[in-house]
Amino acid sequence: MKTGLYLSISPLLVVALGGALLMLAEAFSHHREEHESRSAGPSSELALGTAITLFTGAIFAAAVWFVGPEKLDGSQDLAPWLIIDRFTLFFAFTICVGGGLASLLAGGYLPEHRIDRGEFYPLLTFSSVGAIILAAAGDVLTLFLGLEIMSLGVYALTGFRRGSARSTEASMKYFLLGSFAAALLLYGAALIYGATGHTDLAGIRAALVAGNLNYGLVLIAVTLMIVGLAFKISAVPFHMWTPDAYEGAPTPATSFMAVVVKSAAFATMLRVLLVAFGQPELSSWGAGWPPIIATLAVLTMTVANLIAGRQESVKRMLAYSSIAHAGYILVGVTTTMRLHEDGQASVMFYLLAYTVSTIGAFGALILCGSRGAEAVSYEDLSGLGKRHPAVALVFSLFLLSLAGVPPTAGFFGKLYIVKGAIGAGLYPLSVILLLNSVLGAYYYLRVLVFMYMREPAPGAPFARPMKSGYVTSALVLAAVAVVALGLFPTTSLEVAVRAALAP
Amino acid sequence: MTSIPLEYYLIVAAALFLVGTVGFLLRRNLLVLLMSIELMLNSVNLTLVAYNRVHTESHAGQIFTFFVIAIAAAEAAVGLAIVLAFFRVRKTVRSDEADLLRN
Repeated sequence: MKTGLYLSISPLLVVALGGALLMLAEAFSHHREEHESRSAGPSSELALGTAITLFTGAIFAAAVWFVGPEKLDGSQDLAPWLIIDRFTLFFAFTICVGGGLASLLAGGYLPEHRIDRGEFYPLLTFSSVGAIILAAAGDVLTLFLGLEIMSLGVYALTGFRRGSARSTEASMKYFLLGSFAAALLLYGAALIYGATGHTDLAGIRAALVAGNLNYGLVLIAVTLMIVGLAFKISAVPFHMWTPDAYEGAPTPATSFMAVVVKSAAFATMLRVLLVAFGQPELSSWGAGWPPIIATLAVLTMTVANLIAGRQESVKRMLAYSSIAHAGYILVGVTTTMRLHEDGQASVMFYLLAYTVSTIGAFGALILCGSRGAEAVSYEDLSGLGKRHPAVALVFSLFLLSLAGVPPTAGFFGKLYIVKGAIGAGLYPLSVILLLNSVLGAYYYLRVLVFMYMREPAPGAPFARPMKSGYVTSALVLAAVAVVALGLFPTTSLEVAVRAALAP
Repeated sequence: MTSIPLEYYLIVAAALFLVGTVGFLLRRNLLVLLMSIELMLNSVNLTLVAYNRVHTESHAGQIFTFFVIAIAAAEAAVGLAIVLAFFRVRKTVRSDEADLLRN
């Protein structure tokens, strides 16, 4: 009986146990039907329970961080299946915060739009469990398990509005492309197992360093695995499911997908690239993965920003913007080939800043709409600054953070990525990133223009903001985090630097 | 006694994977798409078990296969549920008629 082992995986255990309890609570809940009155559904208790579960998970992750996983006896017992290091704990924290905020958004959104069924919350919690497993996976087997536990929950969340043609279509597209990507990743894993004889990432690296392998096989395997991961982080040209899935899903599910799934996928991408394929021969500019990742980054940023500017729906614009952010983060991933720790730290800081800003932006969009009058297009938001100044103000804060305006979290996220890229000598990439941020500012500021400088056309239906303590508290938490990360960025950056994987 | 060479298994697996991929990309019936994904996962299983003959020091390949089979079953359950929900709303199982969401 090793208490150290249980303590070190406590974030995972807390969230998994909480999910099981929530499922029981939902099954014995008396409010099984979708009621007419807005406060009658199960959400009122379950959303709070989910948020408490996930925030407790985040607190446990932070606590294990402060103690230090290396000091806990038995924390390495699950290696290579689950590796509990500071890298894992950082991502577990980010995932729990993102999931907790998304569940608070759901607590307001689901009753308002009469899709108040309790299974949303256990699905969300178990998806977070999968995401944490994915971030901790040091073996291709647990990587695949985590990926599927996470994805299966999210497919169901996407299609949560069963009667809606758009929601089911979104879910179907996401499911088909997601499982296709998983199959590609898995075939890559099988081939790398054949070539090296190992399924754990450290063993794969050792076999690659030792040499004497079938390099054709390794090349195909690496390509398949990168393509599979690129689908999950929605990098161009593997992004076609993203806007559809994000637009059709209920907005809390969209925000969950945008932050938690993306963070976990980037965590595993970093681990695969740096641990399994991290030796100099495979991670230099002339050979290996950096040129592939750099190409993906340039394509992702540019294409997503160009298309995002043409959208008429704010939700779809935010979907393309999340693809563009994946492009910026890929620049940080490319940087890790030369600046090992700073590159990783910039990716992690960016993901944290992106998590709170994106949840906030989607949450503000939820708050702007109410039943029968959901805020979708830019026109729906016109005049919001006059009618509801508080809502417009927080929405502006999150959009400015996504655009990268100081002194918000998003600004420092971009700053560290660009700084890293310049430090690594990747000048073309940093110039392209800066040009793209200017392009991105256009469609973020367009929302502000509509909110503050336009009046709704006479007689046009406009969105009425809803009232919900859950959504408001999620927005307040996210806003505090955005401002705090913007005012004190160095503390969290130091935390991220300490979390970097060893070379 | 001679056994079947490893390459034969790998070629069959690669062919299965290719059939699955091409089927996924070309067919438009949702049920056929689901079957194509299953075919791809099964070719992965075949590859893993075949390679386990070379790497005899552990049974990582065979153990991996069990997990893949279990996950494939879970995936099929969720996938069929989604196809069913889609069919109830849209009265079709063709993927090219899913065109509500686009630019």
